[in-house]
Amino acid sequence: MVNSKKSYNPLSRMNLRQKTLLTIGLSVLILVLVVISSLFINSSDITTNFKIMNQPPSFEHLFGTDWMGRDMFTRTLKGLGLSVQIGAGASILSSIIAIAMALMGSINKYLDSLMSWLIDLFLSIPHILLIILISIGLGGGAFGVTMGVAFTHWTTLARVLRADIKQINTSDYVKLSERFGKSRLWIARHHILPLIVTQIIVGTILIFPHAIMHEASVTFLGFGLSPHEPAIGIILSESMKYLATGDWWLALFPGLALLILVLLFDIAGENIKKLLDPTSANE
Amino acid sequence: MDNKIIIGIAAVAIIAIIAGAVFMGGSSTQRTDDSLVVAAYSHGGEPESGFDPILGWNYLAEPLIQSTLLKMTPNMTYKNDLATSWEANDNFTEYTVKIRDGVKFTDNTTLDAEDVAFTYNTVKNNGTSDLDFGSFENATAKDNNTVVFELNTPDSTFVDKFAYLGIVPSDSYNNETYGSHPVGSGPYKFVQWDKGQQVILEKNPDYYGKQPEFNKLTILFAQNEAAFNAAKNKEVDVAAVPLAFANETVNGYDMKLLDTIDVRGVSFPMTNNTGEKVEDAPVGNNITADKAIREALNYGINRSQIAEGALNGIGVPNYDGVAHSLPWANPEATIQDGDVEKAKQILSDAGWNDTNGDGIVEKDGQKASLNIYYSASAPERQAIAVMIGEQAKEFGIEVNATGAEWDEIYKHEYSDLVVWGYGSTDPSDMKGKYYSESFVEGTGNPGHYNNSVVDGHIKAAMAMDRNSSFAEWSKVSWDGSTGISPKGDAAWLWAGEIRYGYFVDNSLDISPSTALLQPHGGDIFSNIYDWHRVSSIEK
Repeated sequence: MVNSKKSYNPLSRMNLRQKTLLTIGLSVLILVLVVISSLFINSSDITTNFKIMNQPPSFEHLFGTDWMGRDMFTRTLKGLGLSVQIGAGASILSSIIAIAMALMGSINKYLDSLMSWLIDLFLSIPHILLIILISIGLGGGAFGVTMGVAFTHWTTLARVLRADIKQINTSDYVKLSERFGKSRLWIARHHILPLIVTQIIVGTILIFPHAIMHEASVTFLGFGLSPHEPAIGIILSESMKYLATGDWWLALFPGLALLILVLLFDIAGENIKKLLDPTSANE
Repeated sequence: MDNKIIIGIAAVAIIAIIAGAVFMGGSSTQRTDDSLVVAAYSHGGEPESGFDPILGWNYLAEPLIQSTLLKMTPNMTYKNDLATSWEANDNFTEYTVKIRDGVKFTDNTTLDAEDVAFTYNTVKNNGTSDLDFGSFENATAKDNNTVVFELNTPDSTFVDKFAYLGIVPSDSYNNETYGSHPVGSGPYKFVQWDKGQQVILEKNPDYYGKQPEFNKLTILFAQNEAAFNAAKNKEVDVAAVPLAFANETVNGYDMKLLDTIDVRGVSFPMTNNTGEKVEDAPVGNNITADKAIREALNYGINRSQIAEGALNGIGVPNYDGVAHSLPWANPEATIQDGDVEKAKQILSDAGWNDTNGDGIVEKDGQKASLNIYYSASAPERQAIAVMIGEQAKEFGIEVNATGAEWDEIYKHEYSDLVVWGYGSTDPSDMKGKYYSESFVEGTGNPGHYNNSVVDGHIKAAMAMDRNSSFAEWSKVSWDGSTGISPKGDAAWLWAGEIRYGYFVDNSLDISPSTALLQPHGGDIFSNIYDWHRVSSIEK
């Protein structure tokens, strides 16, 4: 009994770690494949061919074709790639904003309350509304959408970081370093940053799915990109028009692809969190 | 946790979309044989300022609620409607119109010459209408039945305006309330306007002309796929659908493709960009100011392919923006297009060469890269813009498409390519597009085209009798040495004429033989007097 339990436990721990690594590896591999393959598709190469309008899925056109005879598989792939790029840009920008805000908050209590006020302000306006406003304000296009998403998604991470920094600031070693006459910058670099770096990485990855979904919703609503461009939201909104004529493949495959993409990011993020933040592995 | 919610929402949305597709259909509102439900206010959708002709209600189509002085006939001549006779003086600066006796507005007041004069003068003074009233000076009622129109310049096309403008009652007209409570003398009277949804009209028993068969007319503002769905659900008698749906079949409905004179084409900025701006919109484009670029595009683009593809095989190639069925169409303006070699030749002769191997030609360090704007809500314009981009690449011109709302497009109309729709039974439509002063007045000519010979033809045609002016108007396209067509200045890139597709209930005869050719912005109601229910509606 005792023996078997002993041999079982380490194996199980190994397995979890291996499993986690495997999951991360697989999902990251698929995501990288999507991005790389989409980079090889030049959007002007997705040409129209009106002889093969609205064709259901076949081996030649895995996802079927749309009303201009364009191959939906390449369009979807290109759209997903665009989503990931916008997502990457937006989440990295969001994280930078969040870090800057959190650090600003740790300087003194006035800046801290300013920061909480800013967080509350951004949280009180519906994301979609703010994204639309910002992306129109910045002239639309992929840039506008990226900035729109970036400027709305920093709040949660900033909150987490702010709480963490506050906690660290009250710890004994920080107080000790202060007594030793170390500068605030030195403390930030040597005591605070190493402890919040996990949160930053995990937070950035977990902004991804949000960013992608919001990019899709904004383009779905017709803001940001032109209706002939292959963005996943545009593809989905266009598919709505052809549902009445029975062209189900226009909505199903791109929709599923988006869902899977977002799920992959979520899985990767959660597992990386388990790796980097061991306490959460026991949840 | 939060992510799970988002993913859940996405999953639900996708399921809802699929389910929506499967369960589409079912509920249907009750239609009756003696009334009409129509989702075919095809052009601009719901009229923003209501049903006020002075503010632009249906001046290119049958105004239904109001009546006009003249009406067009299927062979494009005019017949009297409110007018009993009309004549113009020799140089077309003064028109005298006799008005029908005993016409009542639906509020039971009498329509007389004063109302006619009032309507025309108000359009002139309020200036909110899209109508070109540039030549009109004023109208005066000489007696109860006579109106005299004074023009400031000879204009034989002023007679076309007689068929445009519905007459409003001068006593009760109020520009703020009339649009939502219109009173007129047309075949139908206004009952109710549910904004964003529909307008309900009822037969006007006092109408002086041929009474329509249907007692009630409901116009739904559903457009495009919404109109298509309405037909699928058997909620409407007539549904206007985009060309992309023209090849679908709907049980109990026939697809009727009606000829139009509506042409799609692309304007070129003709002048160099000198930094000039009109109302914050930049003017000019250094690339399209070079004739070689415009010519190369006109000869290189394959219009038959566009008609086959973007216009779903039911379009007709067009080279000069004048539909082939119009009396001033000019067959001489036709060119042999789709000639990629010729386009390349034109470009290289003018010094446009691909020096850096990217497939796009350059000249003096400037890349032949153009932007084309199209209305995001018009699928056929999107398809035209995308196809032009694809075809132009073959001979080394890059055309990047952008779909936008009109507010955005108007910021680029003087400096970039824009896909327009034009076409009118009124030849002065050409004045709007090509007359040099039209740009200055802001009434048209977005490319700032300026050719004194073309201006001369336009001026001459305006001073000629309408029927004899057609030959002069066709010289605007090509007069043997110059013109706006590809052979001449290649001022626009005209692509093709479209047709309007309607799903019409099998029980309804919309009398295609008496229908008028629909201009750009027209509608299907021109011959509603002849519509007939041949059998009961199949439920």
